[in-house]
Amino acid sequence: MTDIHVTVPKEKWAPVDRGAQDAEFIAAPSLTYWQDVRQRMWRNKPAMASLAFIILLILAAIFGPMLTHHTYYDQDLKLSNIPPIFEVYKTEPTDASAQYMFLNSGNFKLYEVAENGEILGLVRAKRKDLMKKQHIYVFGDAEVRVDYSQLPATLVDGDGNAIESIGYRWNQTNWFGTDSLGRDVLVRQLYGARISLTVAFVAAMVNFFIGVFYGGIAGYFGGNVDNVMMRIVEIIATIPLTLYVILMMVVFQSGFLSIIIAIGSVFWVDMARIVRGQMLSLKNQDYVAAAKTMGASTKRILTRHLLPNTMGPILVTLTLLIPSAIFIESFMSFIGLGVSVPMASWGTLTAEAVETLRAYPHQLFFPAAAISLTMFAFNFLGDGLRDALDPRLRK
Amino acid sequence: MLNYLIKRILMMALTLFLIITLTFFLMHAIPGGPFTSEKMLAPEIEAALNAKYGLDKPIWQQYLSYLQGIITFDLGPSFKYPGVRVNDLIREGLPVTAQTGFLAMLCVVALGIPLGIVAALHQNKWQDTTIMAIATMGVAIPSYVLATIALYLFALQWQLVPTFGLDSWQGYILPVLALSGFWLSFIARLSRSSLLEVLGQDYMVTARAKGLHPQTILFKHGMRNALIPIVTVLGPVVANLLTGSFVIEQIFALPGIGRHFVLSISNRDYTTIMGITIFYAAFLMLMILIVDLLYMVLDPRIKLGEKAQ
Repeated sequence: MTDIHVTVPKEKWAPVDRGAQDAEFIAAPSLTYWQDVRQRMWRNKPAMASLAFIILLILAAIFGPMLTHHTYYDQDLKLSNIPPIFEVYKTEPTDASAQYMFLNSGNFKLYEVAENGEILGLVRAKRKDLMKKQHIYVFGDAEVRVDYSQLPATLVDGDGNAIESIGYRWNQTNWFGTDSLGRDVLVRQLYGARISLTVAFVAAMVNFFIGVFYGGIAGYFGGNVDNVMMRIVEIIATIPLTLYVILMMVVFQSGFLSIIIAIGSVFWVDMARIVRGQMLSLKNQDYVAAAKTMGASTKRILTRHLLPNTMGPILVTLTLLIPSAIFIESFMSFIGLGVSVPMASWGTLTAEAVETLRAYPHQLFFPAAAISLTMFAFNFLGDGLRDALDPRLRK
Repeated sequence: MLNYLIKRILMMALTLFLIITLTFFLMHAIPGGPFTSEKMLAPEIEAALNAKYGLDKPIWQQYLSYLQGIITFDLGPSFKYPGVRVNDLIREGLPVTAQTGFLAMLCVVALGIPLGIVAALHQNKWQDTTIMAIATMGVAIPSYVLATIALYLFALQWQLVPTFGLDSWQGYILPVLALSGFWLSFIARLSRSSLLEVLGQDYMVTARAKGLHPQTILFKHGMRNALIPIVTVLGPVVANLLTGSFVIEQIFALPGIGRHFVLSISNRDYTTIMGITIFYAAFLMLMILIVDLLYMVLDPRIKLGEKAQ
């Protein structure tokens, strides 16, 4: 053996800089699971925006209809099919004050408006020249003609020169325009939101309180319990939800309450099946066996091991089932089995818009946007929740 | 395995029997007979009609003869179309519904799963973002809205495809698109999240450490596990494609079963409603059985039909 002689220079023996110890120090406070979830939720911008949207929608659905004098059933056939945005034209008779108007190109009607876009009323034509395809209107000594010999219809003055528009105005009387019976679209949208949100709420409750427990118990106990419970679910599930809801609507009269009953009575089935499927594959996993070996009670295994691990699929399913409940309601209303007239649901609003699709395609926009945005919001919220709840994504 | 299959088929028969009973009595609980309408029929005519369709017999007798009919695959006459049997309606509508449904199913599986895999393998890259943006849109937009917008744009505005009918192959594009849109997106999202979950598992690291071929890892270890939650929803997908066809067949004027069904509802044609419901239920039970069998093949840990310890 040779002597190993290592010389360490004197200065290397200096005490460690105290600051280096700070590297070992855990700076972030220790967070509980739910604190962590909340933090990660906050950082997820689309999810928070969706949450804000849903809260706004709920507020608008509750308070919106109270803030306006329009109702969902008031008809005014004179003011039918008015768009939310229109091009305003101006004519200046020498003997009267200036007139503002807009032309509804779908039905060739002329409406008098204020300069800011408030609708004052329908203008009656002085004369209708069917040969030249013109409607002639008179304001004081000025003449305005609606010329529909060539589509789209245009506004011309008495000499046949086109009148220049003074720009687009937002409809101040009916912000979202009116439908084919002259009802305010915005208020009808808000009532549609009420219906959709109620359906969503009922579906969520039923899923959470019946679906999860039912599926959990069936999956965990297995054997005969599972057999009997799943046969019941199978019987309900073999009739597709939509079909079942349709049957219910045929038997009871169609209406809002029937929809709620129909959706509420079967909507937990999908959830039960998914939770059961998860339980089936989870309960044979090693950590459950380990917990059992250590003498954990059934309740503890269920609530501490199995349920938290199924929470991801539960939430994902829930956030997909809520929009699907909203969808089923609007779907039923769309095919004419949902809420009864004059009640408005997003489905009936879409169906009404489809009838006038060729003449007024813009009417499809609001109900389609409303239901799609709501679906979007629930989906983003679900995605965000799933990511936030997943302990494996914890940083 | 064979025992399990026999047991399942017996259960299916029982379930079907319960469904038949339920729909039969539900339909007979509706106030007003099938011949009640705005036009008052002469009492003799109504009595004759009732006698012809056996409605004058006591209800249990009607029930028994209905059951007897179903055993011989006869769903009875339609109340609204004289001389037409429900079987004829189904036979006539089935090819249309089956064709569009099958194409839609093909789209869902053959496009949805690969898109999900691509997104998962390129997590947070542009492929993922693009696919998920489209898939999120597909999940959010209801089929009837998608169908209407597509109809308006492609058929009315740009006139690229016919507005209705299935006379040419172009006619299939919009209905199949509208029908499969939701589930295609749903399956893509599900495959992505499911595969991502599997990719994070320890056995994937082990497989890589063993030096397995990346493709072997992905398909033998990754996809086989990731497919389990996907297979779970395939049963409901079939169901939803069927019911989705109601509104799609309505919008595109396709003469399928779904259209007959919706028509029979507004016509209050009870035997047709009953017949189609039972037909759907039988079909779906078959699908769910197939899904459960697939389940066992995919995950040997699931022991269906065997008693848990």
